[in-house]
Amino acid sequence: MQQMPDRSVALTQRPVDLRPYLNNVGVTTIAETGSGRFNVWRNSFAAEDLPDQGERTVVEAVTFQLSNLGSEEPDNVRCDRQYIPVPAGHFDWLYVLGAGERRVEDLVALHFADGTVDFEPLRLTDFWAAPPAFGETLAFQTVMHYPQHVQFGVPARMWCQRVPVVRRARLAGLRLPANAAAHIFAATLVGGLSSEPDRVGAEENS
Amino acid sequence: MDTLTTESPNHRTDPVQARRPPRRWYRDPLGCLHLTIATVLAERGVEPLDPLGAGWGFQHLPGHVRGEEFYYPHAGDDLGPALAPHHPLRAVWSATPEGEDPLRTFSDTIAAGGLVIAAVDKYHLPFRPAYHDVHAAHLVVVYGVDRTRGLVWVSDSQPPGFSGAMRVEDFLAAHASANPADEQDAFFSDSTIARRYLAVELAEPFHELDENGLAAALRANVAGFLAAGDEQNWTGMAGLRRYVDSLVAAASEGRQAPLRQAYTFGWSMQASAYLHSELLRLRGVQWQRPALREAARDVLAVATAWTPVRVTAAHGWPDPPAAEAALSQHCTRLVGRYEEALAAVAALGGPHDFKEVPR
Repeated sequence: MQQMPDRSVALTQRPVDLRPYLNNVGVTTIAETGSGRFNVWRNSFAAEDLPDQGERTVVEAVTFQLSNLGSEEPDNVRCDRQYIPVPAGHFDWLYVLGAGERRVEDLVALHFADGTVDFEPLRLTDFWAAPPAFGETLAFQTVMHYPQHVQFGVPARMWCQRVPVVRRARLAGLRLPANAAAHIFAATLVGGLSSEPDRVGAEENS
Repeated sequence: MDTLTTESPNHRTDPVQARRPPRRWYRDPLGCLHLTIATVLAERGVEPLDPLGAGWGFQHLPGHVRGEEFYYPHAGDDLGPALAPHHPLRAVWSATPEGEDPLRTFSDTIAAGGLVIAAVDKYHLPFRPAYHDVHAAHLVVVYGVDRTRGLVWVSDSQPPGFSGAMRVEDFLAAHASANPADEQDAFFSDSTIARRYLAVELAEPFHELDENGLAAALRANVAGFLAAGDEQNWTGMAGLRRYVDSLVAAASEGRQAPLRQAYTFGWSMQASAYLHSELLRLRGVQWQRPALREAARDVLAVATAWTPVRVTAAHGWPDPPAAEAALSQHCTRLVGRYEEALAAVAALGGPHDFKEVPR
């Protein structure tokens, strides 16, 4: 059989540094379940069931950087209109590890280097014992931490979701929505298939 | 002697159980009111989405919101017209008077082939995460009573989920609880349980919803959205706008109660939109009607637009002015989602308009 030519493309992956924007404790250890604040009932994910702190973790072939899990320090970004600069480049997807305090959908503003902005949907299923509502894959499932106990039979679920970067232009930053129900633990830009658009006609608008 | 042993000789004292535990019906966007009623309907062979999803509207009764997970705006004792306006469903609240045995009524209902939905305080339910921790009002389906052994069989479809027997003492403590104010639950505590129970009745024969039936329901729903309410009954789009204006004003003026109540009340309207969306989606699949499925997505967007309104209010009630800007933004978007979904549903027209794909 004739060997097919190797057309595989190495996709670029650029983890987004969320550390300056972490503002919510969503993961706790068994010893400190009371420090959790993921939802209004103070439930949280179990650190013991999540990857070790400091290690990069791979979900759906995408490498993510989780931070501060189980440290009693903020470990996720509760969306509140944070503007987050990203490594400049061309990307196709923004992958996120996140979850909702109940089912949530909102818009992320993708800011491009030329000043254009596209609003794209961010959709996250409830973390509290729900099946995926928006076609996410399950990144992690832990037991549910309550302020004063560990609850079996109620899974806490962290989803792998993605936001499309439709525009073939150099991405520069993200503006998260003002939506307290949406939590993001990690984000990675993935790209490499898209290139600059044909410049023909571009001058007409300049 | 306790009330369990002082019944008349004619009263049923044998164990009474349903022929099987009810299958637990669960959808994550719903609270215990819809889940328990759906469980009862499904046990009777009725697709719960038909009666519970055919109606869709907005109703707010100012001053009537109670701190209970199962709060739903309705007039009178019968929830049926509010939950299932296009079906002959009755869901009537009763309460066993103090000094009488609530299990007597439950036994009789179960012996006759029925199920009872009982109000309880989660604090006393060993299978709930809130057990001996948090007071919170809840509903369970009761499907068995055994006085001799002192057991009550209950079904709860909310995770972790439970079907089985519990001690009668625990059940009665939950069912008669004062459900005192609990700082860990600002939304579903401080509302006495008072041995309330809900009897669900369905007039026979109960027809499956067909395309004409759904078209008629959609027309009535649209008409309901466009009708004017009144001072005591905020309904339709006008009622919705009035409600969100009042909520944002409450935040601005530093009034906490309306924000706390928004979490509870919002769940009722979120559930209504979700159920309607699910019915349209599933019928759109069954009848091969893409337009129904698209309208379903627009209505689902209403349900998800309630999430940030509820969550912002729930986190923000201790300091209402700080939540005003976010609440205002989410309320504006919520109204927009209703407008879009209403337009999509109105555009569906009659059953012939559903038929853009040859069958």
